[in-house]
Amino acid sequence: MYNPTIRAPARFWANRSLAIKGLVVIALPLAVLLGSLLSLYLASNAEARAEDDVRRAFAIQRDTYQVHALLAEAAAGVRGYVLTGDNRFLAPFRKAQREVPSSMARLDEAIEDPIVRDHFEELRVLEAEKRTGLQQIVDVARVGNIAEANVEDALLANKLALDEVRVTIDDIQRREAVVLDERRTRVEEVRAGFLILTAVSALVGLLGSLSAVYLFSTGIVRRVRKLEGDAEALARGERLTEMPEEADEVGRLAQRLVRASALLHDREDDLRASEERFRLVIEKVRDYGIFALDPDGMVTSWNLGAERIKGWRAEDILGRHFSNFYPTETRDHLPEEMLERARENGSAEDEGWRIRKDGSRFWANVVITALRDEQGKLRGFAKVTRDMTERRRSEEALKEARKDAEAASRAKSEFLSRTSHELRTPLNAILGFGQLLEIDEDDFARNHREAIGQITKAGRHLLSLINDLLDIASIEAGSSDLTIETLDLGQLLEEAYSLGKPIVASANLNFELERAGGNIPVRGDARRVTQIILNLIGNAAKYNRDGTFVRLGCRFDGALVRVTVEDDGPGIAEAEAKRLFTPFDRLGQQDRAKIEGTGLGLALSKSLAESMDGGIGFEALAKGSRFWFSLARAAQPENSPLGRNTNDVTESSCPRT
Amino acid sequence: MPENLIQPSEILSRRVLAIDDEEANLLLLRSLLEREGYSDIHCVSDPAKAMQAYVDLEPDLVLLDLMMPEVDGFQLLEAFGRHDRAEEFRPVLVLTADTTLQARRRALALGAKDFVAKPFDVIEVALRISNLLETRILYERLRN
Repeated sequence: MYNPTIRAPARFWANRSLAIKGLVVIALPLAVLLGSLLSLYLASNAEARAEDDVRRAFAIQRDTYQVHALLAEAAAGVRGYVLTGDNRFLAPFRKAQREVPSSMARLDEAIEDPIVRDHFEELRVLEAEKRTGLQQIVDVARVGNIAEANVEDALLANKLALDEVRVTIDDIQRREAVVLDERRTRVEEVRAGFLILTAVSALVGLLGSLSAVYLFSTGIVRRVRKLEGDAEALARGERLTEMPEEADEVGRLAQRLVRASALLHDREDDLRASEERFRLVIEKVRDYGIFALDPDGMVTSWNLGAERIKGWRAEDILGRHFSNFYPTETRDHLPEEMLERARENGSAEDEGWRIRKDGSRFWANVVITALRDEQGKLRGFAKVTRDMTERRRSEEALKEARKDAEAASRAKSEFLSRTSHELRTPLNAILGFGQLLEIDEDDFARNHREAIGQITKAGRHLLSLINDLLDIASIEAGSSDLTIETLDLGQLLEEAYSLGKPIVASANLNFELERAGGNIPVRGDARRVTQIILNLIGNAAKYNRDGTFVRLGCRFDGALVRVTVEDDGPGIAEAEAKRLFTPFDRLGQQDRAKIEGTGLGLALSKSLAESMDGGIGFEALAKGSRFWFSLARAAQPENSPLGRNTNDVTESSCPRT
Repeated sequence: MPENLIQPSEILSRRVLAIDDEEANLLLLRSLLEREGYSDIHCVSDPAKAMQAYVDLEPDLVLLDLMMPEVDGFQLLEAFGRHDRAEEFRPVLVLTADTTLQARRRALALGAKDFVAKPFDVIEVALRISNLLETRILYERLRN
């Protein structure tokens, strides 16, 4: 059926649609049946006609005999009448006169054969002559002057006429007999033909049915059966290779099955390939021990990583229980606990000591995942093991280092605190007594008063040095008392402005504040921010000896806000600017010896700004300098309950850089 | 002069106890106080003896250093608190070189009434001393 060298007619038949096949299978025997019925009808019709002909032939024979008999009896009667004059002898003659014409009429109607017709025409003349002759005899006899001779002549003539009639009738009879024979033969022939036709019809009907069955079988049943076989093969997962070529519904169904099979196989191949890739990947993974366990905890697969980490080769460990990897102190309970947890929660993680084949220990991170099929039945476990020994070592080292660092930091803080105390305590006596002496300076001579002044001045300088140094040190040690909160920089600037005013004023400079109210939320420690601002203002006032102003302001700089302190003093060369924020590196010390300062101010400001996540910097201006430090902007000041749109205010009050 | 006004002499006659392990500082405080006109001044340089002095002398004001060996200022503040009756107002002025915020908070939380960092301004310390004594006197008057 799926033979590619299938014959053309069979192909043609197979390609017809099922509707047409059905029509053909049903119509073929039906047509054969109808043909048989038709031939039967025709045959019986012919037989009836033949029998009709036979009957007619018999009727012609009967009628001709009757005409002859009637005429013979009439002639006999007439002879009797002539001889006796008895009227009773005229009865047959009258009967003949009455009945012969009707018999002749029937014959005229019945005769078809042309030869018989010729004889009949002769008969018609003779019969008429005969009856006329007899009538003449009767008429003569009735008058009674019948000459014996005349009557004898008439009778003789009549007899001759009758003989002629007989001859004619015999002719007719003979001919009719021939015709009858012919017709009988035809009837036999028709009957025989009918018998043959019936037999042929029966045969053809049988053949038609058989061919219908065959067609049905080849066209549908066999192929549906084949299709069923294909479907079963497909269900078994076998691959269907034969591509049917029939174009009908069954053929198309079969083709689709083949295509479905191809698709299934492609997918299966893909899946297999992907599984294979996956298996290879897993096998080749070196850093993770990946292996499978059956539901009882026996090892069923093993990868390179597992071999590397645990020291077991696949052939040695497959089929053995995974508790072999656990050290004695946990072997009794932990493996079962892990499986139990994985069964209950889907997976279980653990970190702890495991042992290698050689008995050495390693610190492992283990994840066991329960593997369940679609019905939820436990199929086994996947176990991923990582050797964390190195990491654990480094973590421990890190922890140790952190502990050391914290201890060092604590020690440093402690040291700072002690140093602070130890340095301040003697200064307290020095400055306190100095101050007391200053209060009573009228009691002293001038040179002593100067000495007292020097003591207190040096003491104060020492104190600010100590303060700044300890500040820097404590910030760098991370132990300064910073309280970072959301502040309103606007308000801080106002405060710093009022605090800085006397400092700037004492240097005979104008002090300008370059902003107009409004909130600028920033993150920082208020005291330290003010300290930086005042330090910068103090520096500007100190070093701006030939200028006219010190200007405090702020600028937005992305997520930061810059506080700027500008002056129109002598400025600082670019090359020197780098050293600005280095402790004790007071630029041009020789020129500025008269200017008081610890040399720690900017370094301290830098530490402070950086400890508040900001920065500090310097820019040379055309005339003068600009020092700035930055603070992180905050979304909203914490003390602004109304949540007003501070952004609008700040944008207008603090220009962008 | 109305009776309820506090006379400077009344303040200056009050008993002041200074506790500091540093003799120089005690000398400074004594000098300052004598210069101001105080007469009843007691100094203790051994913190171990400070509590006994506090109990024995019942001072009107204590000037206390925090960082001292063996017994530090915080321990003494606690001991003073335990010893004093609740309704008593006996001010302690802490004078310390420990300028950290924690020290300041801890001292004030333990009952110190004021806190001045060393090195201190002598005039400021003198003013704070007289203010605290004035408050104590007012308190005593209220109670009587």
